[in-house]
Amino acid sequence: MRGARSKKIVLWSIIWFNIITLSLPTVIVIGASFTAGEIIQFPPEGFSLRWYQKLWQLDDFQPALMRTFYVSIICTLISIPVGTLAAIATVRYRFRFRKSIQVYLLLPFTIPLVVSGISMMIFFGEIRILGSLWPVGMALCIINLPFMIWSVSASVNALDPELENAAYNCGAPPVQAFLTVTLPAVMPGVITGSMLMFILAFNEFLVSLFLTDSRTVTLPVQIYNSIRSIITPDLAAVSVIYIVIALIAVWLLDRLVGLEIFLRSK
Amino acid sequence: MSRMVEVKDVSKSFDGTLAVNAVNLVLNRGEFLTIVGPSGCGKTTLLRMIAGFEVPSAGEIRINNDRVESIPPYRRSIGMVFQKLALFPHMTAAQNVAYPLKMRRFEPAQIPSLVDKYLQLVQLGDYAGRYPHELSGGQQQRVAIARALSFSPDLLLLDEPLSALDKKLREEMQLEFRRIQQELGVTTINVTHDQREALVMSDRIAVMNEGVVQQDGTPVDMYRNPENRFVANFIGMTSLFEGTVCATGDGVVSVKSGNVLLQARSNDKVLPVNTRVDCAIRAEQIRIVEDASVYDNSVFGTIEHRIFEGDRIVYTVHVEDLGGARLHLFDHDPVSHKEYPANERVRLGWNARDLFAFQAPQSN
Ligand SMILES: Nc1ncnc2c1ncn2[C@@H]1O[C@H](COP(=O)(O)OP(=O)(O)OP(=O)(O)O)[C@@H](O)[C@H]1O
Ligand SMILES: [Mg+2]
Repeated sequence: MRGARSKKIVLWSIIWFNIITLSLPTVIVIGASFTAGEIIQFPPEGFSLRWYQKLWQLDDFQPALMRTFYVSIICTLISIPVGTLAAIATVRYRFRFRKSIQVYLLLPFTIPLVVSGISMMIFFGEIRILGSLWPVGMALCIINLPFMIWSVSASVNALDPELENAAYNCGAPPVQAFLTVTLPAVMPGVITGSMLMFILAFNEFLVSLFLTDSRTVTLPVQIYNSIRSIITPDLAAVSVIYIVIALIAVWLLDRLVGLEIFLRSK
Repeated sequence: MSRMVEVKDVSKSFDGTLAVNAVNLVLNRGEFLTIVGPSGCGKTTLLRMIAGFEVPSAGEIRINNDRVESIPPYRRSIGMVFQKLALFPHMTAAQNVAYPLKMRRFEPAQIPSLVDKYLQLVQLGDYAGRYPHELSGGQQQRVAIARALSFSPDLLLLDEPLSALDKKLREEMQLEFRRIQQELGVTTINVTHDQREALVMSDRIAVMNEGVVQQDGTPVDMYRNPENRFVANFIGMTSLFEGTVCATGDGVVSVKSGNVLLQARSNDKVLPVNTRVDCAIRAEQIRIVEDASVYDNSVFGTIEHRIFEGDRIVYTVHVEDLGGARLHLFDHDPVSHKEYPANERVRLGWNARDLFAFQAPQSN
C-alpha cells in the first residue's frame, strides 16, 4: 500500500516537473507579450494588447505572415500527393531499386540545412526562379518530405495487404480499389504528415533565409531581421502567434484523426 | 447438373516449393464442397487461385466452363470470406456489406434493403452502424460473410469463416450456414481444419495434404471408406498400427501385427501376401469386452489413461501384442456399467469390417 503510494508521488512529481519545464518558456513568452511596458520582461509590467496592435500595424508583418501561409500551403499541397504515393509505392510494391529509392527519398534529411539552402539558392538562381515565392514552398517541401513519407509509411505498414484483394473481390477495379480502400485506410498518416509539413514549413528559417529577399521575406526570416535590430515585446507577440498556430494544428489533428492514433503513430 | 467450377491439374509453386500439386476438383452448381487438411497444406493457395489473386503455375481453372486465368478478380462473380477477414476498417458493417453492391453497380435504391437483408441473415441487424474494431471477432466474421453474399455471387469461397467463433456459436452457425447456402443455392467452397464442420456442412469433402488432394467424396463415403491412411487418420478419431498381410480372402485380409493375427477389410484393393500395410481403426468401433467370441479380433492391453469429456470417456489402451500400439476408444455410456481405472488390464474387441488395411507407402 505505502509502496504504491510513494510510487505515485514520485511519478506525479516527475510529470509535473516535466510539464513545468516544458511549458515554462511558453508561459513566459505569452506573459511577456501582454506587457504594457517597453521591454520584454517577466512577470509583465501591467496588461495590454499594445504590442499585438503594434505588430498588426507594422508594415512588414502582415505581408510576411501572408507569405508564410502561402509558402506553407504550397509545401503541404505538393507533399500530399508526392509523399503519399512515394510511401505507398516504396512500402507496398516490390520493384527494382526499391531500397535505393527509399534511401534517396530520405536523403534530404541527412544533408545539413545550410548545404540544402545554398545549393537550392544556386540552382534556383541558375534557372531564374529565385525571387518568386512558390519555389520557396517547393524547397521547403523537398527538405521536409521525409517526415511526410515516414508518417504515411507507418499507416501503410499497418495496412492489411489483403484489403486490396478484398476490394477486387467486391468488384472494384484497381483505381477504384485504391481510391475507396487503400487511400482512406492510410488517411490518418496523410493528415498527420500534412500537419507536420505545414508546421515545419511555417517555422523553417535557414533555407528560407537563403531563398528569400526583401520582397519575399517570410515570417521566420523577418523575426530574425528584427532581432538583429532591437528586441521589443512585439517579438513575444509573434511567438504567441506561432504557439497559437501550432495549437490549432494539434486541435485539427485531434478532430480529424484522433490524437490517440497520432500518438500511436498509426 | 451443370459444372460450376473445374480445377484441372492445377499446381502452384512459390520459389520452387510446391504449395499446390496437380489438384483436380469438379464442383456442380449449388454444391457445397469443403476442403479439409492440416495447416500449410495449400488450402488458402487453392482458393486464392480460384478467386484470381494468384496465377496457377500449371493447369487450368474453369468457372462456368470459361478459362479464367486472364480474367481479373474484379470481373469474377465470386464472393470470398478471407482467412484474416479483410474488412474495410474505415467503413461500418453496413458500408462493408454495401461496398460490393456499389462496385457492381446495383440499383442505388435497392442497396439499403439488400444490406439490411444480409445483415439480418447473419443476425447483425443491430450492429449496422458499428465499425469493425467495435465488433467482436465472431461478429466481424459474420460481417465478412454478409459482404461476400450480398451481391449473390455465382461462387462463394470461405477460408475458415467460422474459426473465431466459440464451439456453441460455431455449431449453430454451421447449421445456419448450411440453411443459408441451400436457401440461396450458391455454389460454395469452404476451407476448414475442423473435420466435424466438414462432415456436418458439406455435400462433398476433399481432404488435402502437402498440396495433394488425397480423396474427395461425400461425407459418408469419406468417413466409411477412406482410401488411405492419411484420410482415415484425419477424419474421425483413429488409431494406427503397422502389419503384414499373411493371407487374402474375399474383401478380407489376414494381417499379422506384432504377435497377433487380425482380420481386416482391404477396401476392394488387391493386397498380396507379405504386403506391408497400415491398419486403422476408429475409436467408436472398439469395445472393452468380457467375452471376445462375438468379435473377429481381440487383444489384451493396459489402460494408459482415461479422459473425461463429459458426453463420453476416451480410453487410451497400450497393447503390447500389437508392437506397443496405442488404441483409442470411446465409452459413451459410462454410467450404466463399469468404469475402468488406469493400469487395469482389459480385453478389446472389434470386427473385421471396421479395421482398415492400407498398403503402406513404399519407403525408398
Ligand atoms: N505468398 C507466398 N509465398 C511463399 N510461400 C507461400 C505463399 N503463400 C503460401 N505459401 C506456402 O504455401 C504453402 C501452403 O500455404 P497455404 O496458405 O495455402 O496453407 P493453408 O492450407 O491455407 O494453411 P492454414 O490452414 O494454416 O491456413 C505453405 O507452405 C506456405 O508457406
Ligand atoms: Mg489458410
